[in-house]
Amino acid sequence: MSVVDIDQLEFSYDRKSKPVIQKLCLNIEQGEIVGIVGSSGNGKSTLLRLIAGLEVPSAGVIRINDKTVNDKSTFIQPEHRGVGMVSQDYALFPHMNVASNIAFGLHRMPRKKRQERVQELMELIQLKGYEDRYPHELSGGQQQRVALARTMAPRPSVVLMDEPFSSLDAELKQSIRSELRDIVKAEGMTCLFVTHDQADVEDMSDRYIRLGQ
Amino acid sequence: MSFRQIKAYIKRNLNGWWIVSILGAAVILLPILFVFLSIFETPSEHWAHIKEYLVKDYVIETLTLTFITAITTTLLGVSLAWFVTVFDFPGRKILRWALVLPLAVPPYIGAYTYSTMFSYTGVVQVTLRNWGFHPSQDWISLTSMRGAVVVFTLFLYPYVYLVTRSFLERQSASYIENARLLGRNGMSIFFWVAMPICRPAIVGGLSLVVFEVLSDYGVTQYFGLQTVTTAIFKTWFGMYDVNSAMRLAAWLMVILAGFFLIERVLRRHRKYSASTSKSKPLQPIKLGSVKGTAVLLFGMVVLAAAFAVPILQLIVWATWTYQDVWNDQFMFFIGRTLYTAAVSTVIIMLLSLIVGSATRSRSWGSALLSRTVIAGYSIPGAIIAIGVLGVFLSLDQVYGEVYRLLGGKGTPVVLSLTAAMLIFGYVIRFMATGYNAVEVGFEKTGTRYSEASRLLGRSRLYTFWRVDLPLIKGAVLSGCILTFVEICKELPLALLLRPFDFETLSTRTYQYANNEQIHEAAIPSLLIIGISFISVYVLHYLDKRWET
Repeated sequence: MSVVDIDQLEFSYDRKSKPVIQKLCLNIEQGEIVGIVGSSGNGKSTLLRLIAGLEVPSAGVIRINDKTVNDKSTFIQPEHRGVGMVSQDYALFPHMNVASNIAFGLHRMPRKKRQERVQELMELIQLKGYEDRYPHELSGGQQQRVALARTMAPRPSVVLMDEPFSSLDAELKQSIRSELRDIVKAEGMTCLFVTHDQADVEDMSDRYIRLGQ
Repeated sequence: MSFRQIKAYIKRNLNGWWIVSILGAAVILLPILFVFLSIFETPSEHWAHIKEYLVKDYVIETLTLTFITAITTTLLGVSLAWFVTVFDFPGRKILRWALVLPLAVPPYIGAYTYSTMFSYTGVVQVTLRNWGFHPSQDWISLTSMRGAVVVFTLFLYPYVYLVTRSFLERQSASYIENARLLGRNGMSIFFWVAMPICRPAIVGGLSLVVFEVLSDYGVTQYFGLQTVTTAIFKTWFGMYDVNSAMRLAAWLMVILAGFFLIERVLRRHRKYSASTSKSKPLQPIKLGSVKGTAVLLFGMVVLAAAFAVPILQLIVWATWTYQDVWNDQFMFFIGRTLYTAAVSTVIIMLLSLIVGSATRSRSWGSALLSRTVIAGYSIPGAIIAIGVLGVFLSLDQVYGEVYRLLGGKGTPVVLSLTAAMLIFGYVIRFMATGYNAVEVGFEKTGTRYSEASRLLGRSRLYTFWRVDLPLIKGAVLSGCILTFVEICKELPLALLLRPFDFETLSTRTYQYANNEQIHEAAIPSLLIIGISFISVYVLHYLDKRWET
């Protein structure tokens, strides 16, 4: 079953400028990890923002779990799309500790189940005991794992990741790639991530697409 | 674009935040439109007389005062900024900060203080007579155009000083260093390098000075100058002719628009920032002991004249009169000033937060909306007051008719006689102070946290309370303080829009000064200066935080 289905997608920042994305079609199956690679400025991050509902396409259709979230007459707001996204800088809320960050999207769950889910994810990302720490008290790799856990906590249909390894040093990158892949696979999540580094897609994705030239 | 697409666009973008923001912007724009529309109404019988005999003189006197003050504030502000950034001398660090202090003294308080000090019985003339000098009254009296220029220069130069200093410190290092390597020295660099590259900054600071002079009522009225703003007051209170006052306000708007146009032209083709992002701080040149002492003395004389002397004089007067002034009624005025300022500040900050949240996306609609809500800041208080009065008088008419239609007996509540009118005026005039602080807060945090929250399924309102507000609380607090202080010291709006027998600290100061009870005006003046000092401190603190 396809989780994300994109048809003839187009986007430009204003009417006069050249489209950043032109007639893009993409299909992602349940449980797949798909990488998108390409140089900067060719619309990789924009594509994620369009799927998430943070930007509005100029044309085309986006379907998530067979439900149209975007076409000529439909626009589903980001909070109702069931999409998770890990941004390049993680955007962990600086005024909340690790546990509160992870629990943030679990507001529809009863308190007990919410706590269980947080603990489950803390174990999965191997940060048990760090619940009360604040984001600035964590290393770059730890912050990234927390950001991923926060995104996966409400079990979104698809996890989008924008340049997930760009702010990590080369040594850490290697180990984090396989760690992240294991975490995503362990949760049975569908994942789409963008990167400019060929090694990232080769190590982490089931298949990858090259965007632009 | 098909109907379906338009419907989808509206559905996508229109939400509670936008609706409240658009309503707020419309309400803010209403009084300003009222003034504009007055031009197309049939003029009153007084207007022909005002137009034929008075307008020309008002405009000439306004322009002369503004033009001379612009030159003198530029000379003083730029030279002080130049000395404290380019040179190193003993006391430089203290002087760098202290030269901003005169901003805490509203020019109208400076005017009352100095004109009394230089009057026949004032400390200056008495001292001179004791020393055997008998200066001519024409020469020493400050109640003239010359006095107004001196007062405005002393208390408004910090606007030019602050902007130019900041520009020189951050942007000029490589230009000045290269000029020195090419063999130029101090004066030559000042005129050929510093002044031209600082031009946009100077024009920026100067536009604030020009605006203050054009909107002033306290100084010009006390010194007996015939400006357009004083004319608005005279037409309103002297002739009870709101229609002509509105026409004069429209004239003032034309002059103001002219100045903004000149500012645009002067800034055209000039880049504000350097062509490279690598700007390093300027290393000051160490001055020898003679030159260093001379520069320090110059700075201290300015500081004494613009801050220390008037404050000391006010303190002395306050010790003479505090028993008469400091009574229950005065406490009531303080309470009323703080209460009115607090209510206005809360309204301003709430609206700022709503509009700020609604306009975070990049679109022409957002840009238009955010510019509209702050329109009042570039419009003098007298114009806003006239517009607000026009709106409230119309509202009273409509309300009265509805009241009678519904069978009401007696006289309905007259809105134009309540403090609501004054609060409305404050909101329009000072919306920008609160809104700009909120906007800076939102710009600094960016949209990533709100986006993360919404992608985790949280609503806009929840995201606002739990994510946005905690992250920008510092900016909101500084916005609150700055707005509150600005309202506390405001004079023209309070004078024009206050209900009968309604006094604030600033109107009380004005009343005392106008009744020739200058010594009694000292205590409310010192309180206003004390409150203003908070805003100077907040600005200094924010500047330091942004530097780090």
